[in-house]
Parts: sequence; C-alpha cells; structure tokens
Amino acid sequence: MRYRSLHWLLLLFLILSIGCRSSRDAAVPLSPTASEGSSPPAQTPTPQPTPRREPVPLRVFCAGSLMIPFAALEKGFEAANPDIDMQMEAHGSIQVIRHVTDIHEKIDVVASADHALLSMLMYHTNDPDTGQPYASWNIRFATNRLVLAYSEHSKGAGELSTENWAEIIARPGTRVGLPDPRFDACGYRELMILQLAEAFYGRKTLFEDVLMGRFTQPIRAVQEGENRIVIHVPEVLEPRSNSTIVLRGSSVQLIPLLQSGDVDYLFEYESVARQHGLQFVPLPDALNLGSPQYAADYQRVSVKLDFRRFASVEPLFQGEVIAYGLTIPSNAPHPAEAERFVAFLLGPEGKRIMAENYHPLLEPLRVDYHDRLPESLKALCVPE
Amino acid sequence: MSRARATLGTFVGLGSVLLLFLLLPILVILFGTTPGRMLETVLDAEVRRSFTVTFSSAALATLLGLLTGVPLAYLLARYAFRGKRLIEGLLGLPVIIPHTSAGVALLLTYGAQGPLGGPLARVGLFFTDRMAGIVLAMLFVGVPFLVTSAREAIALINPELEQAALVDGASRWQGIWRITLPLARRGIAAGALLMWARGISEFGAIVLLAYHPRTLATLIYERFQGFGLAQATPLAALLVLISLIVFVLLGTCLSSGD
Repeated sequence: MRYRSLHWLLLLFLILSIGCRSSRDAAVPLSPTASEGSSPPAQTPTPQPTPRREPVPLRVFCAGSLMIPFAALEKGFEAANPDIDMQMEAHGSIQVIRHVTDIHEKIDVVASADHALLSMLMYHTNDPDTGQPYASWNIRFATNRLVLAYSEHSKGAGELSTENWAEIIARPGTRVGLPDPRFDACGYRELMILQLAEAFYGRKTLFEDVLMGRFTQPIRAVQEGENRIVIHVPEVLEPRSNSTIVLRGSSVQLIPLLQSGDVDYLFEYESVARQHGLQFVPLPDALNLGSPQYAADYQRVSVKLDFRRFASVEPLFQGEVIAYGLTIPSNAPHPAEAERFVAFLLGPEGKRIMAENYHPLLEPLRVDYHDRLPESLKALCVPE
Repeated sequence: MSRARATLGTFVGLGSVLLLFLLLPILVILFGTTPGRMLETVLDAEVRRSFTVTFSSAALATLLGLLTGVPLAYLLARYAFRGKRLIEGLLGLPVIIPHTSAGVALLLTYGAQGPLGGPLARVGLFFTDRMAGIVLAMLFVGVPFLVTSAREAIALINPELEQAALVDGASRWQGIWRITLPLARRGIAAGALLMWARGISEFGAIVLLAYHPRTLATLIYERFQGFGLAQATPLAALLVLISLIVFVLLGTCLSSGD
C-alpha cells in the first residue's frame, strides 16, 4: 500500500518533469540570432526543429519616464515586426539596471534616464556566466528637463510662478513628492535642483526647509571645497510620521498622488508632465538640468549614497545635463531582435513616435564607444 | 478492495504533490538564509519599526472589524430582510476584486480630495502615507473573512437559547453577550485570526494608499527591488517564520477551547 502510493507519486513527478522539460524546449528562440550562431553544434544528427510562428519575446526595460513613448513604440514596432513580441517593463532608472546586474534577469534592451548609470553600473560589473561586462557601450538618445508639476488642489497653486515656487514649496504643511534617490534618477536630480536653487534664488535654507526633519535619518548637503556641494543620502530613507515629503520608488508613481491631491508639488520631467496633461511651471534654465549652457553650473552638485549600494562601484551621481542612454546587455537573449528595436527607435518611425509623445530624440545621436556598437547600429550614431 | 486501495493511493499521491508544492517554497525560503542573517535582520531598527507598524495595524484593523463586523454578522445570521443578499454579495467584493484596484478605490475615497478623505484632511486626518491608511486598507480587504466566519458561527447557534434567556429575564444585549457570542466565539475568533493574517500579508492596497510607514510586505518588496535577493530573503523568511508560529499558537489556543 505504502509503496503503491509512492509509485503514484513518482509517476506524477515524471509526468510533471517531462512537461517542464518540453515547455523549456519550446522557449528556445527559433529565429536566427547571434547567440544561436555561437552555440555549439548538435551532437546527434536529429533533425532541426522547424521554425514556428510564435513571436520572439523581446524584453525591453526602460525608465519610468519613458513608459508612455515606449508603449507607443511597442505598438509601432510590433506592427512592423510581427515576429517579435515586445515585453516592456518600466522602473526607476537604477532599478532597471539592477534587474540585469543584481537580479540577473536576461533583458534585451535597457533604457535609462541617466546615461551615466549605464557606464557606472554595467561596464565594470561582469556577468558571472560569461565573465564579460554587462554592457560596453551606450547611445545617448534623448534629453529632458525638469519642471514643477502641481494640480488645482495644490496649496498655494493660485499664486505659483517661475519666480516664487521655491518659497511656496517650502511653506509648512506643503506636501512635496520625492522619487527615491536611491532608486530613481529623478530623485537625485530633484535633490540637485533644490541645492542649485538655494544659490540661484539666494534662499540659503531652501534645501533644509523642504527636507530637514522629514526623515528618520537626514539627507545632508555638505560643502566640499569652494564651489562643490555633495548631497549625502542615507541607507535607510524613511519619512517620519506626519512628514510632508511623499517618497515613492519612481517619479511616475507620484503622479496619481498629485492627481488625487495627496501631493501638492512634484518635480517631474517635462515630457512626462506633458504626456499626463499635468499643470506645471517651468524651472529656470540654470536649474532644470536640461540646458547645455549651464552644464558647468550643474556640475557643482552631486549626490552620494552613503552606503555600498553596488558591489564594485562608488555610488556618486554627478550633476549634468540630462541625457537618456540605452544599451543592449551583453547577455541579451535576443540580440538580433534587440538591434532591430534600437534601429526602429532611432530611425524615422521611432523619431516620429518619440516626438509625438513630447520626448524628441537628440540630433545627432552620440555613442561613447562607436567601435563596440553592433554593425547594424553604427550608421545611426556618431562617436562622442 | 484493491480498487479502493488504488483510489486511496491516488488521493494520497495527489495530496502529497499539493503538500509538497505548498511546503517546498516555505522550506526553501527558511533555509535560504542563515541564523546569523536572521538575527541581523531582527536587530535592524528599520525592520523592527516595520514589524510594529504591520502587527499593530493588523491588530487595530481586526479590532475595528470585530466592533463593526460582529454586529453585522449577527444581523445577517438572525434576520431575513430586503437587500440581505445584496449585502452578502457586497461583503464578498473586497475578496474578489484585485487588491491594487482596492488600493485605487481607497485612494480615491480617502485621498486628500476624496469624498471622505477631503473633509477629514481639513481636520488634519490624513490616510495617504499614514498608519491610518494601512489600517484602512487592511480593514477593507480583511473584514469580509471575519464577517463571513462570524455569520456562519452565529447561524449555527440555536436562537431559542437566546430566547430562553429573554424569558428568564435577561435583556436582549445580555442574551447576545452572555449566550450567543460565547457559543460562537470559535468561529468569530477564527474569522478574526484570518482577518489579522490577511492584514499582515496585504500589499497591493496598502502600497497604493500608504507606502509609508513601510509594512513588512512593502519593506520586503523594496529590499528585493532596491537591494536584491540577499537583503530581501532574511526578512521574508522571518515574516514566514513569525506568521507560522503565531498561526500555530493561535490555532492551538482556539482548538484547546473545544
């Protein structure tokens, strides 16, 4: 009796394991890809499986601020390439990269709101399976600038202007959204803007007025040298109870709270504010991180994470003109399809879709290591 | 006889597969970390704050559930009235709807501009990013378990017992408090336990309404997203362990009252 039960159990496991095996086999991509080209030849003369019609899943991970234009790109790209099923996921920019380098997910295209994150986090970290860096090039494909978004419910919205916003957001009881600077580029950029605004408006306590006393462990701005400020972010970033700072993992997660009236003001990318039809005041060029003529000023501030956030990298984010970057990770499961997507994005159709979504592509498109680019993309970019 | 044995064997086999399916991830997570890492996690101030928030919010939500849910369960068990079916259907809604949808609905209602959240915000009572919001979300998704369990338990108690007490001079309140509720206590307690456990494990509704202060489920998610598996696993294991211990202890207490 006991053994019979065991036999049944074994039989069931056998059936299950066969099922798993066959489904894993089915997941092998059948269209010719670079990775297939390098795979060892079959040892037995069994016939090759015939090509199937199932579209190749192409995993594209992008910054939250690219979610809407990339959703439009997905439609256009899939219509033009019915053999590919683009699967998009959006997170804070640091999170997007972490999915590749820390969680070891196999992703085909990575698009970050800060190109510097790609080189910082992917060039010097090796994939344990291949021993190769996760990436070795990135294309700067778009820029942006930050604005201050608000709603008709926001406290002081009636008197808000480009000149007085700093005074209004520092008022007691005003709820300001902050994307978590440990995870999202928009978060550390917001901290940079608050610090730059102190000097620009001559409000020496703006940073403190908005942020001090709002967290269980403080975010500190430290003057280093005559003209350099480093903002230190603690490992545990936790708003105090009754804090007027509303913290979320990425900037786009704060938009519903702005719309529901639970956040009064939110630093948001202009493209995103326009895509969502948010009301906003533009920030002066000296502050919005989108104006190349102020690049030197932006460099005065940087944000440092006060802990070993990444295995081999010092987590220091430098103030600079916003540049979005994209790459195809070295362990992308479908590199050929990834190249087709990048070519689509950077080509005329992609340009049109991005522009329609208030996020035009840069002209020209620059790449840091042109010689490392896949051949099919070389003609689309110029070296830095 | 042998056919009966074969049937029994099949049942044992299928049941074993299911048990293994349920047990394996629990074992993997418990053995996926070391006692040292667990201790480190217990000593982490952020984790301890999160524990306090989670367990006290769930307890508070359950208390509110008992205060409001048991009277409703009594009415549903004892009386037939127009709209009873509708109410019973409504009670099932929070269980059926996706919890992220519940989160959106709660945000729209109790957010700073919501029909209830707006007036309350004007007197200084906020729900977004407040413990009150967490309690609210736990109450919303968990209270149907309590009401359903309490209603079934009360329905099993013969109403004549309560009526006999009335005949003997007890008031209506005394009849409920001294006769019906003590007899139905196991069902009510089981419902409360389910609601409490549901509150502790809730994520979808809470994260939309009150990401902060972080509950354990939110903290696990954040550590997984932001810091990786190594940071998330000890915390997840600890939550599993504590939930198991509390559940077994309470289950034992409940059955010892038999």
